Amino acid sequence: MFLQTNREVSECVLENGVRFRSVRDPRFKTQKISVHMMVPLAKETAAAYGMLPFLLSRTNRSYPDYTLLGQRMAELYGASLNGEVSKLGDVQVLTISASGLADRYALEGESISAELTSLLCSSIVDPVLDENGLFPEEGFQQEKRQTLELLDSELNDKRLYARHQALELLLGEEPAAIGRYGSRESVESLTREEVVSAWKYLLNHAVLEVDVLGDCTPEQVRTTVLQYFPANRDPVECPTIVRPAGVAVKEKTESMEVQQCKLILGFRTGVSAMEWEKTPAIKMMSTVFGGTPHSRLFLNVREKMSLCYYCASRYDTNKGILLVESGVEEENVEKAREAILQQLEEIRQGNITEEELTFAKLSMVNGLHSVEDYLSGTESWYLSQTFHPRTITPEQSAEEMRQVTKEQVVAAAKSCILDAVYIMKGRD
Amino acid sequence: MIAMANITQMTGKRVEDHYDLIEHPSGLRIMVYPKPGFHSAYAVFGTRYGSIDTRFRRSDEAEASQVPEGIAHFLEHKLFENEDCDAFARYARTGASANAYTSFDMTCYLFSCTENVYESLEILLDFVQSPYFTKETIQKEQGIIGQEIKMYEDDPSWRVLFNALCGLYHVHPVKNDIAGTVESIAQITPEMLYRCYNTFYNLRNMVLCVAGNVETEKVLEVADRLLRKSEEVSVERAFLPEPEEVVYSYKEEALAVSFPMFQLGFKEDPEKGKQRDAETDILLEILASDASPLFRKLLDAGLINEASFGYDHFTGTGYSAILFSGESRDAKAVAKAICEEAERLRQQGIDPEAFSRARKAVYGRNISALDSSESIANAMAGLYFRGQELFQYLDRIAEVTLEDVQACLQDTLLPHRSTLSVIVPQQS
Repeated sequence: MFLQTNREVSECVLENGVRFRSVRDPRFKTQKISVHMMVPLAKETAAAYGMLPFLLSRTNRSYPDYTLLGQRMAELYGASLNGEVSKLGDVQVLTISASGLADRYALEGESISAELTSLLCSSIVDPVLDENGLFPEEGFQQEKRQTLELLDSELNDKRLYARHQALELLLGEEPAAIGRYGSRESVESLTREEVVSAWKYLLNHAVLEVDVLGDCTPEQVRTTVLQYFPANRDPVECPTIVRPAGVAVKEKTESMEVQQCKLILGFRTGVSAMEWEKTPAIKMMSTVFGGTPHSRLFLNVREKMSLCYYCASRYDTNKGILLVESGVEEENVEKAREAILQQLEEIRQGNITEEELTFAKLSMVNGLHSVEDYLSGTESWYLSQTFHPRTITPEQSAEEMRQVTKEQVVAAAKSCILDAVYIMKGRD
Repeated sequence: MIAMANITQMTGKRVEDHYDLIEHPSGLRIMVYPKPGFHSAYAVFGTRYGSIDTRFRRSDEAEASQVPEGIAHFLEHKLFENEDCDAFARYARTGASANAYTSFDMTCYLFSCTENVYESLEILLDFVQSPYFTKETIQKEQGIIGQEIKMYEDDPSWRVLFNALCGLYHVHPVKNDIAGTVESIAQITPEMLYRCYNTFYNLRNMVLCVAGNVETEKVLEVADRLLRKSEEVSVERAFLPEPEEVVYSYKEEALAVSFPMFQLGFKEDPEKGKQRDAETDILLEILASDASPLFRKLLDAGLINEASFGYDHFTGTGYSAILFSGESRDAKAVAKAICEEAERLRQQGIDPEAFSRARKAVYGRNISALDSSESIANAMAGLYFRGQELFQYLDRIAEVTLEDVQACLQDTLLPHRSTLSVIVPQQS
């Protein structure tokens, strides 16, 4: 239905077990190459893995000095080499990506893509190591300090902090409750030996996915990846636990120096992407419930009752959980909680109009159709499906959304069971 | 007989893109930037009216008027509500994702969507031209915005910015919170809102920018139907004289943060500052990007971290400043190092290689931004209100010389025109 000028999508598993996906699309003036390394999240290893994307992207053997590498990236028209850590269910995702202008904009005819690809691969596979085969002390201490500061500054963002606390309460001992960089204590006690062995493990055993996007040269990247990464890779299993709600609702209230309280309700749906045929209805339910400015929570709890400044729901397909986050005045915390649960009850009772459902569908389809207009959107769309039993395009997903019925939404609401309530209050 | 719109095609010298610049008979300036092959369209309808516009003079009145702080932002919230229905409810029928924001010097209403682009555009043009304010709806909004103000009071990055702005500016309203205070918004009446609306929402004071999956003719068809010709009234910003000196050079506040954060501002001549955006961006890249010796020195000394350190050229009518921000255990040492490095460059001159690298980097990032319809439309609107044009701005970056940047450095980043604002953790 859309004009797709010369867009080429390809997906394959390379000889060395690396999953290789390219979306070559000359609509873009930029290109992006990402290497995602995935391993099970675990308390013992999260800190060591979590530091690697940053440690590896700061230097490599061709540019062993941080500033020299930075200058090279500036010369390549402000290209960047970035480390990132994220989570997909109970899996830790370690990403290093290179992005920059398309080759056609290079004023002196230089090949930005070739340079970015080799810089990226050599950063991961060929880092600077000292005479003992360890990451140099100086860079290691720098990254340790920066990770600790990152963890400390998390407290400065109350919304984010509250979300982490709520997830911990909801998930308990499940790996997804572990912070993506590991705990403060584990980062503090990290040694260079641990980090170097984590790196070696990643090269041979992480689930490895390479994405090449935009106005790029996939063939060249593919050749370089084959050349750099080990030939006999043996990727680890990366399972994710999906649990039903517990018998009793877990509750936690914290006091902090804040003007506005945070209230987060954590639900279990028991349905994850492993049962992919059931997820469209839950996504739709979450949208009707609190996914848009015309959702139940926005129109009723925020607008009509003026109980919250924000109040929204979000479904995590990997874990099968649904969070409702809100910012409320202290005296309204209980009222807001009741009002949120009341709205869910309404949906369970089938009190939803055809119009509400249509609006939710329009909004979801709109979002899905926009995905491919952004390199990062396209990348995270496919990355998020790495461990799903099947891979679909945004358009296929849009089609599934259009098919969801009211009865399915009602059933989805019935499957949402409250499992945890987190409250952040002000101090008297 | 309907007057015809006057259309000029603007073409980029350095990119293959083009857009139509339209002088619409209603008095509105319209820009349509098509991006072939893209699925979504992004539209922004903005007025040159922001939080700093609390004192103004209309061309048909002799005296300047004063209105309460936060009124532009309040008006933005209220415009979403027309007499019969709310704008979000109307957008629900098109699937568009809509929003609005108020900054220091503009208010913008926007949407992005993939289908029903012109229906959404119709909604946008209609609701922004249909104010409806009553005592009752204002009272309700005072509650909602009061919540928003409280949320910002808890946000240390917001506090640290305003403590810096209050240190830089004696009288200029840029020092006031965009949303105002609970007390100032309590004074707002329907009459005041109508008066501000009728003054600043004159189409001659506004711009419409649409980018992505759009066609000029169809945009004009909607514009011709919906836009009502505006009176030939203009408005002048009537600021009280602002001294060159700063109010204070240091301010510290304790908040619920776990790691200290800072903003370091350098006050500039507002007229000069406005003229040299491109020079300043390149200067800042040379001085403090991650490829600079200063950045390396600060990083090695453990004084900054990559995740939080940043800088911005902050300019608008009657104000101009360079702002550095980040987290640091010793913000005073960071400030000292920045001042010393600026002085060293002033004395010794800028290295031509560092200059050419920085110019390439700034240029490349600006070209990259053209991948996003959202960045394009917002940039076109922002530049228009400052009397600039997108492609000329890109050319300007490519043409800036080392001498321009050296000249710029002579009267900016001066220690005696600086304010350091620091947020420290509370002792408990």
